Amino acid sequence: MRLYPLLFLLLLVAGALAVLVGSGDLADPELRDTFLELRGYRLTAAFMAGAALAVGGVVVQGLFRNPLASPSVLGTTAGASFGGQVALLTYGLTGTGGSFVVPEMIVPVGCFLGALAALAVLLFFLRITQDLLALLLTGFVLSALFLSLSAFVTSIAQETWELGRAVVSFSLGSVSGTGPRQLSFALPLIAAALLACWAWGRSLDLLLSGEEEAQSLGANVGAVRWWSAIWVSVLVAGAVSVGGNVGFVGLVVPHMMRPFAGTKHQALIPAAALAGGIFLVACDIIARIIPSRSEIPLGVVTGLIGAPLFLLLLVRLRRERALA
Amino acid sequence: MRNDSSMTALRAQGLSVTLGGRRVLQDVTLEAQPGEVLALLGPNGAGKSTLLKVLAGLLPYEGRVEIADTDLASLAPRTRAKRISYVPQRSLLRSALSVEEVVALGRYVHGGRFGGTSSNDQDAIDRALETTHAEALRDRIFTQLSVGEQQRVLLARALASDAPILLLDEPTAALDVGEGLAVLRLIRQLTARKHTLIVVLHDLADARSTTDRALLLKEGVVVEQGKTADVVSAGPVRAVYGVKLIENARIGFEPDVETSGAE
Repeated sequence: MRLYPLLFLLLLVAGALAVLVGSGDLADPELRDTFLELRGYRLTAAFMAGAALAVGGVVVQGLFRNPLASPSVLGTTAGASFGGQVALLTYGLTGTGGSFVVPEMIVPVGCFLGALAALAVLLFFLRITQDLLALLLTGFVLSALFLSLSAFVTSIAQETWELGRAVVSFSLGSVSGTGPRQLSFALPLIAAALLACWAWGRSLDLLLSGEEEAQSLGANVGAVRWWSAIWVSVLVAGAVSVGGNVGFVGLVVPHMMRPFAGTKHQALIPAAALAGGIFLVACDIIARIIPSRSEIPLGVVTGLIGAPLFLLLLVRLRRERALA
Repeated sequence: MRNDSSMTALRAQGLSVTLGGRRVLQDVTLEAQPGEVLALLGPNGAGKSTLLKVLAGLLPYEGRVEIADTDLASLAPRTRAKRISYVPQRSLLRSALSVEEVVALGRYVHGGRFGGTSSNDQDAIDRALETTHAEALRDRIFTQLSVGEQQRVLLARALASDAPILLLDEPTAALDVGEGLAVLRLIRQLTARKHTLIVVLHDLADARSTTDRALLLKEGVVVEQGKTADVVSAGPVRAVYGVKLIENARIGFEPDVETSGAE
């Protein structure tokens, strides 16, 4: 079967299940519309976040010429997550996020500010040194820094039981509380960044041969790295703002799609976007149907499915290398 | 020897390069004309490959490099790549791109950001594959090819860009005798199309058989420059390599007309 008809079919099935499955009785005429509306938002959020993370993974894997890279290596994921937690904490402790932001927008805005802060540091170092290893290490250090800051926020939040629960639940990832405002905030940003990544696709193809060859073939390597870092950060910030911190999508989905869509970025990016969206919608359905006292966090489901899937891919990747 | 300056494809004056605090090239001056092959020769570590990368615009340098009377340093990466192609010794590509996709990368400089492969691009790709006798490899995965086949594909990628100047870094280094001869013969054919070729070579006999002029480097300094037959001669070779050159002493090889087909 051709790739795109199959992906659209899967999307249709996943979308239908996402609307129909879950706690809450659709037979109740009074509550039916509300349930459908909430599940629609939830489906949209999961799809957007999945698409954003998968494409972020494609770009970062090309940028670093490393199939084991995921969008979080830039450190902007940890930045966005930290920003979201600080926003939650501020709101929880003061009951206000400042008069200029409506309450439900506090977390998304916080995520973007956090990602921007991490990105600013990253670009500052990218300006000083063009070295790829330096970029990787800066991202690594930023991740470590923001993760410890997040741990600090979590420990402060523990003082109030409800707040602590909200902060922890956010850091584990969930699309359950996403509403129309959050979606309409993140959608244009994610859409713009997806298009931009696709437009940089040909330059990213050149980078697959390494910096020197890419340069000799006419790529402006510095500009490709600079703009890729920016667009991946926007994707990640958008994903975290509607879905919290969800791992493994950006790592696994590009690998799942390469054998079908090919390695060239302009072919891979649309396929990865669709597949990433479907993957996260499916994970969200699983999070809802696994019996548990409360819903299983989305980040836990992607990890539980993503990790074994990734190990399988790793085995296959090694086998292909051995053939080459 | 042509002295007409309008014919000069590439000219370098007073080139010096410092890498990691070490002077790698010192005051190198050279010229290359269309339709000729210039050999860069010298022992390991003499600075041949560094010089080639500088001419390709891949390394910072002091001095001046002109491409058809335009300052190399003033050219944007795309414009530069339209005029100069660089063929590395080995490609660092590890991803599963097909040969045709690899050759298509040479067309990057001609394409728009959003465009796919135009019919012009496809023609150039087909021509490059034909010239390098790599049509049969078209759908193979690049990383699964032999070193000799990869070398031909990299050459095709460079040709696909339609750049008039070609820089080749030891194109025969890892090849067996048959593959090596095929590449050298290809280099000769390209001069007939008025390409300008600058080739780093390890083998002095290859340089004598294939190139018109040569530049002999030792520790970053030009020792000798001129017609290859004069540069690869007893005096300079002894001075640079510390060996005696014996004319007609080695066994030689040439393509077998029956097995490789006459051009």
